[in-house]
Formats: sequence, C-alpha cells, structure tokens
Amino acid sequence: MTSGPKLVSILRQGSYLIASIHTALDDTQMDRFREDLIEQIGRHRSRGVVIDVAALDVLDSFGTRTLRTIGEVARLRGALTVVVGIQPDVALAMVALGMSTGAIATALDLEEGLEYLNGRLAGGAVSRPAGRVPPP
Amino acid sequence: MNGDETSVTTADLPAPDDADGNQLLPQLVAHLREHRTRLRHEWSQRIQQAGLLHAMTPQEMAAETTSVYDNYVEVLETGSVEALQRYARDLSERIIPRGVETHEVVGIVLLLRDVLARSLFEKYQRDFALLNRVLDAYEPAANRIANTVAVSFVDERERVIRQQQDSIRELSTPVLPVRERLLILPIIGVLDSERARQLTEQLLTGIRTHRAKVVVIDITGVPDVDEAVANHLVQTVDASRLMGASVIITGLSPDIAQTLVTIGVDLSKMDTIGDLQGGLEEAERLLGYAVGRADGSGVP
Amino acid sequence: MTGCGAEVSGTQRAYRPPVEAAETADPPVAADVHAALAAIVPIVRRIVAARVPDRSTADDLVQETLVRVLAAADRIEPGMLEPYAIVTARNVVASLWREQDRHRRNEHRMVDLLAPESPDADLLAREEQSAVAQALARLSDRERATLLAHEVSGQDTRSLAAELGSTAGAVAAQLNRARARLRVEYLLASERVEPPTDRCRPVLLALSGGDRRRQREVDAARHLLECDLCARLSQPLLQRAATREDRIRIAIGSDGDIVAARQAARELASRLGFGRTDLTLIATAVSEVARNIVRFAGSGEVVVELLDHPRRGVQVVARDTGPGISDVEQALTDGYSTYSGLGLGLPGARRLMDEFAVASEVGQGTTATMTKWCGER
Repeated sequence: MTSGPKLVSILRQGSYLIASIHTALDDTQMDRFREDLIEQIGRHRSRGVVIDVAALDVLDSFGTRTLRTIGEVARLRGALTVVVGIQPDVALAMVALGMSTGAIATALDLEEGLEYLNGRLAGGAVSRPAGRVPPP
Repeated sequence: MNGDETSVTTADLPAPDDADGNQLLPQLVAHLREHRTRLRHEWSQRIQQAGLLHAMTPQEMAAETTSVYDNYVEVLETGSVEALQRYARDLSERIIPRGVETHEVVGIVLLLRDVLARSLFEKYQRDFALLNRVLDAYEPAANRIANTVAVSFVDERERVIRQQQDSIRELSTPVLPVRERLLILPIIGVLDSERARQLTEQLLTGIRTHRAKVVVIDITGVPDVDEAVANHLVQTVDASRLMGASVIITGLSPDIAQTLVTIGVDLSKMDTIGDLQGGLEEAERLLGYAVGRADGSGVP
Repeated sequence: MTGCGAEVSGTQRAYRPPVEAAETADPPVAADVHAALAAIVPIVRRIVAARVPDRSTADDLVQETLVRVLAAADRIEPGMLEPYAIVTARNVVASLWREQDRHRRNEHRMVDLLAPESPDADLLAREEQSAVAQALARLSDRERATLLAHEVSGQDTRSLAAELGSTAGAVAAQLNRARARLRVEYLLASERVEPPTDRCRPVLLALSGGDRRRQREVDAARHLLECDLCARLSQPLLQRAATREDRIRIAIGSDGDIVAARQAARELASRLGFGRTDLTLIATAVSEVARNIVRFAGSGEVVVELLDHPRRGVQVVARDTGPGISDVEQALTDGYSTYSGLGLGLPGARRLMDEFAVASEVGQGTTATMTKWCGER
C-alpha cells in the first residue's frame, strides 16, 4: 500500500514518536501499524509515544488490544505510551463493551499527551494515569 | 423514510403556459387587491366556521390573516416565495408555543386558496375558456404557497421541539465548570439507566469542551445508590479516564460504600471522598493549584 | 438423492469403509483414496444440506467438493482428508452465496435503470443504452474505473482498496457516491435536460444518495418546491430510497469486511435518528460479531435491517457456516475465547445491544441476532 492517502503517520519529534491513525483500519492494517511503531520505537530509542486515535469512530476489542500491546512492548523497550483523542461516544462504547484499558495512559488530545509525557519523564517514574498528573 | 420527506415530494406543479401566465397573473393580483377587505373577511369567517386557530384572539386573528393575505398576493405577483417563507417562519415561531397544530396552519392556507379560487370563478364564469386559463395560472402558484407555508411551519416546529428537549436535558444534569480544567456534576434525583447514559454523554462532551482534567461528581442528592447506580458510576469514571480526566465521587456515605463492596461492586477504581468540599480540595490538589502533601508526582 | 450422490454411495458400498469411520474420525488409510473419499461423503452431504435447501443444488455442491478433494488428495496428509473436505465444502457453499449475493445486488441496480417492457422496447432499449453511456461519461475517471471494476468485472472492495491504497470501507463509500451520481446523470441524460440552476445537481445527488444530512445542508426540500425539473426528477430517486434501502447485506470473508460491515451498519442505522453514541455502540457490536465470523468460520455474512415492528430499531444478523459453538452459554461468558483476543466478541456485543441471541450447532454454523431499539437505552 504505497500510493493513495496515508492510513497512518509516524513522526519523530525529539525523543518522542507521534503516531496518528487517519482513518478506520482493518485488523491487518492495525497489525502492520503496531509492527511499524514498535520497530521505530526501537530504532529511535524513543522515550515517549503519543498515539492519536481522534479519527477513529470505533475502537473495538481488537483495536484496544492492539493499543495495549503497543503500550506494553513500548514499556519493555523503555518508552512511555499515551493514547490521545478518544471521542466521547467511542469512550462510552469501549466501557460498555467491557474493555479494560488497564495500563494505557490516556489524555484528551495531542497537546495534553505531550504534556503528560513531559511531566512523567521529568518527574520520575511514579505510575499514575494521565488524568491525575498536574501540569508541570 | 417517514414524515418530513413526504412534504418534499408534493411539489408536482404543472408548468403554466408562460405567455398566458404573464398576462393573467397581473389581472388576478389586481382583482385580489381590489377586493381585499371583502375576501379577507370571508376567509376569516371560514376559518372560524372550521374551528381553526381557536387559540388566537379575534384581534390576533385579524392581524395575522391580513398579513398572510398580503404575503399571499405578493407571491402571486412576484413569483418569489422568500418573503412568505420568512413570514411563515416568524408566524410559526409565534403560534407554536400557543399550541397551534400543523393541520390548522395547512387548513387556513387551503381555505384562503379556495376563497380566492371561488372569487375568481365568480368573476370569470361567463367566459369558460378564460376561466380555465386563469385557474391554470392560479392553482400551481397557490399550491406552491401552501407547500411553502406547511414546510416552514414543520421546520420551525421541529426546531422548537429540539430546542426544548435540549434544554430539558441540560436542566436535569448540569455540568458546571467551576474553574479552569475542573467540572462539577451534581446529580439530583433518581438515576436510571436512561438518565445515567445521558449524564455520561454530557459529561464526556463537557470534558472535551472545557478541556477538563478533573471532574467531581456529587451524588449527595441521589436517593438510592444501589448496585445499578454504582455500576453506572464505575462506567462513567472509566469513560472519563479514557478522555484523560480523573473523577472524584463525593457524597457517597460510608454505610452505602460498605454495602456496595459487600455485594461485589468494585469501588477500588473510584476515588471517593465524603463531602463536596473535600472533593473540591482533592481536585485542586490534583490540578496542582493548592499545595497538598508532597507526593513527588510532578507538582511544580 | 440422485445422480452423483447415488453413484458415490454405490462406490462406498463396494469399497466397504463403514460410515462409522467418518463419524469416529478414524483416519482413513492413504492407500485407498477412493475409500477414504467415500467415507467422508455423509459428512460433506450433511454440511452442504444444512446450508443449501435446494436438493439438486446441494447435490452439485457435494459433487464439486468431492472433485476438489480428490484433486488435492495427494497433497493431503493421511488423516487430514476429513477436515480438508469439511473446509472445502464450506468454501464451496460460501462461494455459491457470494455469487448469489453479487447477482442479487447487481440485479436491483439494473432494475433501477431498466425501462418496463413495452411495444417499442427496442427503441427504448437503445435510448436507455445511450443514456447510461452518457451518464457514465459524466463520472470522473476514477469514479468510472472503480465502479466498472466492481459492478462489471466483479472485483471486490478489498482488492480495489489494495490497488487504490485505501480501505475497503472508503471504497464502498466511494462506490455509493458514484452510483448516486450515475443515477442522477442517467435521469438527466434520459430526459435530455440540463439542470436550470447550479443548485439542482447537489440537491439531486443528496436525494439519490439518500443522505439526509446533506439534504438538509443543501435545503433540498425548499429547492424541490422551487424547481419543477428537480421536483419531477426526484420522484424516482425518492421512491427508490423508500422501498429498498432499509436492509443491507455484507459478505464477510476477510478482516477488511469487518470495517465495511460496521460502516454500513452505522450508515443504515443513522437513518432512524439514533444518536451518535448509539451509532457507535451498534458499529462496535457489528465489528465484534463480524470479527467472530472471520476468526472462527472464515466466511459468512452480516445483514443489517431497519425494523418498524414492534418498534423502530435496527437488527443485525451475523451468520456463518463455521464449526459452530458447542457451549453457547460458555461462549457468552466473559473471558472465554479460543483465539488470542480478549474474549469479548459475543459477550461484549451483547452488552452493547438491547437484545441478543445466539443459535449454534456444531458442524453447521452460528447465527447471532441482535437488536437495538430506537429511544431505548
């Protein structure tokens, strides 16, 4: 899939990676996104990853599981992951579905996500969800 | 699929013969202007006989029928329905709160159409061919007017209903922005599934609008906090967290909290604090405004 | 049962492998492929008959399955013949469904475009053709290429998506837009008119696509009052939308179809006036059941239908010809899963909808039926 509109983009910004999903992905595309992102985390020795899912109108069990997997693998490679941009109706559906988002940190949008990473990476390794971290 | 689209399809106006229409409509308009008082009066009587618009006083009725009549003739003259549209919306806005129904509005416009048609009939009845041409020119325009008024009324009515529903919904679950990044949601009254869903939706939208990081939900005013209510709250807390906001629940008495834990509700994910004041203090601490206990979590 | 079925039964008797061999899954000895083949006939027949009511069609499919298994026999490991045959039978049935589905879907589209039979049918047919050709010529190159690849060459949305570097869902939406435009251009061409104002085309397109939000945006209702041409042309477009578009079937064969299914369900349900959250709940539930089909059965279908009775609502039926679920109760329990997901497929979908039921039979397939009512939460 080399031509046409890009489905996802992964941008490097300092020691962070900013990954955006631009449209609904099927499972195969989602898997490829996960592999690419994890590969880049290793290659760039990133310390933080923001995944922007604002364009997704559905996050089902597979999508959520993929995000969790990315978060866990990233952690093992020394990077913090924060998912940003979950829409209100998507959040409700995820909760109704019974998705435990467990260890994934979440923030309102890209700006908040970066703030979260800055706060966490500057202030030590206390494990707290994004919403609980005061602005630095 | 239903309702509102039927009004769209009824505009099957036969195209009037242009040359004929151009000559006849001015004649028609002149006739209707000349007999304005008599025809308008006749129309008002027909409206009363039909029992329409009984919610209006005679003075109001006189004023509105005059305006409708003049607008009506103007459409016949200019062929443009825009002024009538504006007037019809304006009228609808005024009469909808009085309980005027769609069939009444359509009814009075159709009555006017018939009153005017009858007067044309009387005027031209000696020349049958001419009469036919006059009616051919008149009827499509009259039908178009009836449609315009009906559509405007229905549009306006839907808008008013939507607005009312929105405001009722907002009144029952207000999301209050107390300060930057902090929302309070005081819930008062019974919390059934329907309301819980609405409340959660509203809170989540509020979180996005106000870019809230902390939400205090005060349930002091909820009479029965049972397992179902607690589960709704757990879902609200989870969904808020997915949008990057922490939730503090206040007003949950220790007794009830204990009962809930006994029946197996997982309160561990919920941050509960006895009263609203304590909840606000905790919220401010989380936001880093007040200096709380140093816990090394990044307070500047 | 006649024809090939009887013949194979005869073979079975001659070679004498008992039917029980198949029932107890005793691996047939590779030495005699025909004997092994005979042994799997009953199970193949059972699988096919359960899905295809028509006997002679079922017989044909049984035969085709056996031919395929026979052709592959030397590549199949001993003991794997029966599983291979079961999978083959399912695939054969599934491709019949796909064929029927494609046929049916294209049929109604053509029906829209065809004039009724009449004495001057010949003349009319020529005019039809020229109108269709003109309408096609007015599409953009990309629209035309995609539409023809899908409608004429039968290329599916997923492979189109791969070629275009897009998603199956996006291609499906693009196809819908192209069809909507084609209908409008066809009407204009067959009436030999050009719209009098530049508002006409957007209005007709919005009506043709059945997109009510867009209809409001362009104020279609008002335009129809003001424009006689559009008022006339809109009649067939509106009738079409009213009679047909309350049901949609999506064939599920790969994970791209999951996305297509949930997007189609969302779009259809949005016509009932569901709120955004309800639409997302429905789409998510469809995603879960459709994925279940892909993971467990390989292929199947999702049918989304708008209901009027007993109340307004949307019903989703997810059907497959997979291995079936032996313990439905257990499958509806959280945490139960035989693939490496979170096990949320069925129980998760159940929580998202108002009503939910699963019927399943081992070896026959699974049908999940779920409903969301309008205005109930």
